[in-house]
Amino acid sequence: MFSPLSKDKWTYDTAAHLAARAGFGESPSQLERWTKQGMEATIQELLHPDIDQTSLPKCATPNQLADLRARVNQATDSEGKKTARRTLRAAENQGFYELISCWTQRMLTTRAPLLEKLTLFWHGHFATSAAKVRSPYKLWLQNETLRRDALGNFVTLTKAISRDPAMMIYLDLAASQVEHPNENFARELMELFTLGEGNYTEPDIKESARAFTGYRIDRFEQFRFAKNQCDAGSKTFMAQTGNWDGDEIIDIILRQPVAAKFICTKIWKYFAYEDPDSELTDRLAEIFRQNYEIRQLLETIFSSEEFYSQRARDAIVKSPVQYIVEAGRTLGVSIPNGFTLFFVYQRMGQTPFYPPNVKGWDGGKSWINTATLTFRYQVARELVLGIREVNQPHPTTTPQASPSPSALASSSAQPSPSTQTLNTMAQTDNSSGQSRISMAQTENSMEQTQNTKGQSLKAMAQNAVRLPALPIDNLVTTEDRADPEAALRRIYARAFQTTPDPQLFSRILTVAKEKPLPLSDDAVRDLVALMMMTPNYQVC
Amino acid sequence: MSQEPDLLTRRHFLRTSILGAALSWTVPVFVERTFSLLNAEAAESTTQIATGKDHPILVVLQLAGGNDGLNALVPFADDLYYRARPTINIPRDKVLSLDGYVGFNPRMAPLKNLFDQGRLALIQGVGYPNPNRSHFRSTEIWQTASDADKYLKTGWIGRYFDNCCSGEDATVGVTIGSQLPQTFTAERSTGIALTQSGKLGFGKEADASEQQVFNELNGITPEHDLNSGASIGSINGPNEPTLSTVEYLQRTALDAQVGTDKIEAVLKRTKPEAIYPKTPLGNELSLIARLISGGLPTRVYYASQGGYDTHNAQENSHNNLLGQLADALTAFSNDLTSKGIWDRVLVMTFSEFGRRVGENASKGTDHGTAAPMFISGGTVKPGLYGKHPSLSQLDQGDLIHTVDFRSIYATVLNRWMKAPASKILGRDFSPLSFV
Repeated sequence: MFSPLSKDKWTYDTAAHLAARAGFGESPSQLERWTKQGMEATIQELLHPDIDQTSLPKCATPNQLADLRARVNQATDSEGKKTARRTLRAAENQGFYELISCWTQRMLTTRAPLLEKLTLFWHGHFATSAAKVRSPYKLWLQNETLRRDALGNFVTLTKAISRDPAMMIYLDLAASQVEHPNENFARELMELFTLGEGNYTEPDIKESARAFTGYRIDRFEQFRFAKNQCDAGSKTFMAQTGNWDGDEIIDIILRQPVAAKFICTKIWKYFAYEDPDSELTDRLAEIFRQNYEIRQLLETIFSSEEFYSQRARDAIVKSPVQYIVEAGRTLGVSIPNGFTLFFVYQRMGQTPFYPPNVKGWDGGKSWINTATLTFRYQVARELVLGIREVNQPHPTTTPQASPSPSALASSSAQPSPSTQTLNTMAQTDNSSGQSRISMAQTENSMEQTQNTKGQSLKAMAQNAVRLPALPIDNLVTTEDRADPEAALRRIYARAFQTTPDPQLFSRILTVAKEKPLPLSDDAVRDLVALMMMTPNYQVC
Repeated sequence: MSQEPDLLTRRHFLRTSILGAALSWTVPVFVERTFSLLNAEAAESTTQIATGKDHPILVVLQLAGGNDGLNALVPFADDLYYRARPTINIPRDKVLSLDGYVGFNPRMAPLKNLFDQGRLALIQGVGYPNPNRSHFRSTEIWQTASDADKYLKTGWIGRYFDNCCSGEDATVGVTIGSQLPQTFTAERSTGIALTQSGKLGFGKEADASEQQVFNELNGITPEHDLNSGASIGSINGPNEPTLSTVEYLQRTALDAQVGTDKIEAVLKRTKPEAIYPKTPLGNELSLIARLISGGLPTRVYYASQGGYDTHNAQENSHNNLLGQLADALTAFSNDLTSKGIWDRVLVMTFSEFGRRVGENASKGTDHGTAAPMFISGGTVKPGLYGKHPSLSQLDQGDLIHTVDFRSIYATVLNRWMKAPASKILGRDFSPLSFV
């Protein structure tokens, strides 16, 4: 089952398959190099990458927002508190937008695509949301932790996460008291992070919650163990009695055979295909359980015949992050930053640092429904033309009820895809005139649209800034422009990464052939958009 | 323009529209559309009251995260409640008594009015045997109406669609938000997810051939419909393994196109009412009211309010949520009453579980079991149903349910939706008399 793919089956298309799954797609020249150097060398390159040299984001310093927080506490009257809270909220949001942008930029330019892809996997696995953890620094720190151990050892990673300040806030570990230990982390540790539902008992949760007491965060936003606040007494956990501490609980959990299978199934789904046979994940788990080394597990997967089988091809719906990053890396469209990027991710259904709940993103077909597919197609068009910057709404005056990990959908402290806009929607089909406006306005709160009626709306519309349109000279040569089929081959190789599917290619060619020659920039952009607006482009 | 949207099958729609009028959806990009929508001052519109279609409508309202039922419908006459919750209880003199034993959280005063006006039924102690305390598993149990130890692929609403709504397009179920709930998972139609919609199209003033290729590549083609015969009718839900990923995408593209066309038509002739609170839930219910009054042939709407997972310092946050719920629901009821269509609507809330009887040391509550459900509608038989669970006889610190949630589903299906409940739920559950 995990027999390695034979050398003669390693082709340009298998290399492309690996590039899409173990990363975010590659340029044709990179894929040609991979094809030549062979599978083994390519996998080693992915598993042992050069580490990116990146500069630290501004929010990577603890207590960045301490002043603003203090101002909220110091404010004496309710009006002053409100203003201070609004300022704090805006600063926090800026920090999160910066985090989202920095990570996206890193994925766009990285020389370690697998490392980033895995960091994203672990982020969804050990999901932690800025909707509750209102500290950009803590989330940055968690992201670094995930990256540090992403390819390393799963036991180490799980223990690190149990001591991660963002996670400790998210699942209420930092506030757990000996008298009534908070069960939130203990439950999700077993249900979502290691064993899966049904593989532990309610008493197991209560006993292990006792072991995770005394976990605190110090004034530099770092983990601190408060010995006098922990329950050092005897606990009976999974039929074993002892004075277990948190790390020992994790050790006991990961000695359960079902743990390795739980993780392997999830990893297989992320990289290969949904619903793997139980036999397959049993075999993987056997390998993984020996030492929990993630790198070895991935080496087994990426070199296996099954990973390149027909069943695995085109079987995965690209996540919104994959969609955006791959479009940037392989086609060269400009990817926005800041609030615009946040907005785009949110509407597509995946905002880094804002997983919907502690279960992370369900992925697979759930990425696609009528709303998200429509938005994907609209974004494709926007990206090709150069996306328009979105104006950021004012933070809401009244904070929403504190959002929580399990709160599905509408609990975000962020502006959520607003039904308000739908409500103000359209008594008119007027598509003419001054209709150029950034996506921005759709997201703005009611109050803002009321504040900026008429004239100012129009003014803002006229000032909407576009990012550069997709540069065409990198995609096609001057000679290609005179030959629609040649031009299409070039674009196709970037968009779909593989050698052409005859049927798909010929349908798009009919459109290309109707364009005046030589193909203009806009004509080529049309073809790129058309490709991105197909079901086939949504999968990899 | 003011006609009600026809209840077209997909096939009918495709035959009549795609080839003709639909080619004019070479609409400007969504952004421009959005602008025109916001800038709608010029447009005059009147609310169109639906008259022709009089099928019953169900609105399912999820309280996500596990609503603390004991602080919503408070057993204020029981000292055990105050002993279990020394710091986060609702003081006895603040509770809005219903029967001398339980009463509403004061923030739910508007619902007390609805109750007094005979527009609200409360069902106490709703849960299921062998309760699961995982958010996700318990939500799944509620959404699929399975036993705690069984796994079902389809949702109970999805099975209703399969049994009772064949031949209708995807707008038969509408969820507000960008994720379809598992309740909607069906063998065939799985409903529309509605956010800022915009239209599905090539999005450029393209020539007809570009548009046509776009349609073909997305499976929105007349050929596809005619040649494949029953294929549209037998299209499967997202969990159906026989549908390849690409086929699933094509199906969704088609649903998006048909659905957003209809919804847009409805929104064009309705306007938001001022009475709704400016909260996420207020916005969602306001939108649903417009879709109902505009005559969308939807049988089931789904909305959700998040934030109920109150492990920590719950007092303010939980009270706020309950207040938002009460305000939004009351506005919805008043709005539809004034439009004369409240009699066609039944709203049902649910949450995956209630919370532990005893508070935790963080002034919050951990995952529990049984909780009350709120049911509201023009023809609902008001009152308190079910027996409040005992506060002295607990199971691991949790309430023991007195009503199986599937009895409520059975009541709603049988008596409200006129659907074969036992077929949809897999067996008989004794109905209650709130409908």
